[in-house]
Amino acid sequence: MNSGSPVKFENVSKRFRTPKGTWYQALAGLDFEIKAGEFVSLVGPTGCGKSTALTLLAGLEQPSIGSVKVNGSEVTEIDTSTGFVFQHDATFPWMNVYNNIAAGPKFRGVKDYDALVRTWIGKVGLTGFESNYPHQLSGGMKKRVALAQALINEPTLLLMDEPFSALDVQTRSIMTDELVTIWETTGSTVVFVTHDLEEAIALSDRVIVLTAGPAKVKADFKIDLVRPRKARDIRFTEEFLKIYQDIWSVLREEVDLAYQRQLVAPGKEN
Amino acid sequence: MAEEFLSEAAIKKNRSKHRIKVHSLQLSLAVFLLGSWQLLADHQILDPFFYGRPSGVMHQLGVWITHGTSIGSLWVNAWVTFYEATYGFLAGVILGIIFGVFLARNPTAAEIFAPYIKVSNSIPRVVLGSIFVLWLGLGSVSKVALAFVLVFFPVFFNAFQGTREADHKLIANAKLLGASKRQITLRVIFPSALSWITASMHVSFGFALIGAIVGEFLGAQRGLGLLIATAQGNFNPNGVYAAMLLIAIMALSAEWLITKMENRLLNWRPTQVSGSEL
Repeated sequence: MNSGSPVKFENVSKRFRTPKGTWYQALAGLDFEIKAGEFVSLVGPTGCGKSTALTLLAGLEQPSIGSVKVNGSEVTEIDTSTGFVFQHDATFPWMNVYNNIAAGPKFRGVKDYDALVRTWIGKVGLTGFESNYPHQLSGGMKKRVALAQALINEPTLLLMDEPFSALDVQTRSIMTDELVTIWETTGSTVVFVTHDLEEAIALSDRVIVLTAGPAKVKADFKIDLVRPRKARDIRFTEEFLKIYQDIWSVLREEVDLAYQRQLVAPGKEN
Repeated sequence: MAEEFLSEAAIKKNRSKHRIKVHSLQLSLAVFLLGSWQLLADHQILDPFFYGRPSGVMHQLGVWITHGTSIGSLWVNAWVTFYEATYGFLAGVILGIIFGVFLARNPTAAEIFAPYIKVSNSIPRVVLGSIFVLWLGLGSVSKVALAFVLVFFPVFFNAFQGTREADHKLIANAKLLGASKRQITLRVIFPSALSWITASMHVSFGFALIGAIVGEFLGAQRGLGLLIATAQGNFNPNGVYAAMLLIAIMALSAEWLITKMENRLLNWRPTQVSGSEL
């Protein structure tokens, strides 16, 4: 199955019909490749098309031009060997924690999922909350459910769309730490979309900077920080700050550009 | 002096005091209204021949219970109306949900059926009662049919809307987790449409009763609707009220059952902000 790299964007463009009937172009010739087991972050200004890139990878949308390949074959439909953690809460409100995490195995007809589900409940630190419904959980706990829900299916490719953006700063740094710890045990390839550069550097092997929309690759940075990492502490090292400055100097132009446009065309979101 | 929070017992006591106050006022209001009706009728200010009176209603009920009605046992008649309404209700709810979810999941089918649904929904449905009596006769089937058409549309529209408003992210998530189309319908769409559907069920049982009773007005051999029509024909207002009372009891019991079921099915929802219930 692993013929070719896990993720390959070949000159991908994508446009959408807006509610007003005009076209909105999200991606313009996106072109990059990711190696197996790599943790790659896509950063870019708000509304640049980062999330669109993920929906193409997941098969939720098709590219208008170009091709998106996962493990060497073109993505034409939803691929269930891909895991997805959404920006906003996508846990099922009518299922308790246990059933939410067991959803994947149940849908796939896996028998004897109980031990597996309990292992994952333990891994994300939700033991004792099995019978709670999502509305009874905090934002951070819901994210843990979403993470376990995606990872229990052992996806070869994990896509995360600003998963922690709705959390408060402290919960967020804890979750970042835990994500690193859990991910280091799974070894799956990850594409992580964020507009938080610090988070991106702390987590990733590579950071790809996208231009203000329509997005293409602006720059590609390799992050040579040691692993295993402690995401919370690494932010204060000198190497980290150096990398941060390098990337920020590139990202900044795009952020400024996107901001200028927003002033001209208010209310335009991705 | 140290300030302290109210003890649990004190809070409970305050709450029960409040409840006693509300209930006793509710009771006094009922006594006042029924009492003035009775007094006005006793002094011939309200003509009891047209308006009846509470004691007359109770007497009528007593007679019906002990001696039966002019059209047979009271219980048989009440039962007939109840099962006509219930069958119509169940059929309307089940088919309403199936059609609503199906059409919302199949946009092309929805487009094809849309004008037909709009036209059939715009017909004043009580008129169909006459047709059903002609087609299906004076028995229960024509009443069940009328109750059914009254229940079907509200449930159908709510199921349709609830399905359409199911969160697209949840559906995408379920697909990525490996759900088949059938699993998505049953495990994602249906539960998310359920609060819409149960909302429509509250009004629908009332509609089902209307269907059964109007059907009986239009022509029947048994049922509370016929009992009312008979009482009306005999200038017996107490009979009309007595039958009304039975219908109200029926409607309230059904509402209570539906609420119970709703709370069971939707126990995953955050508890509603408590307040006065209406």
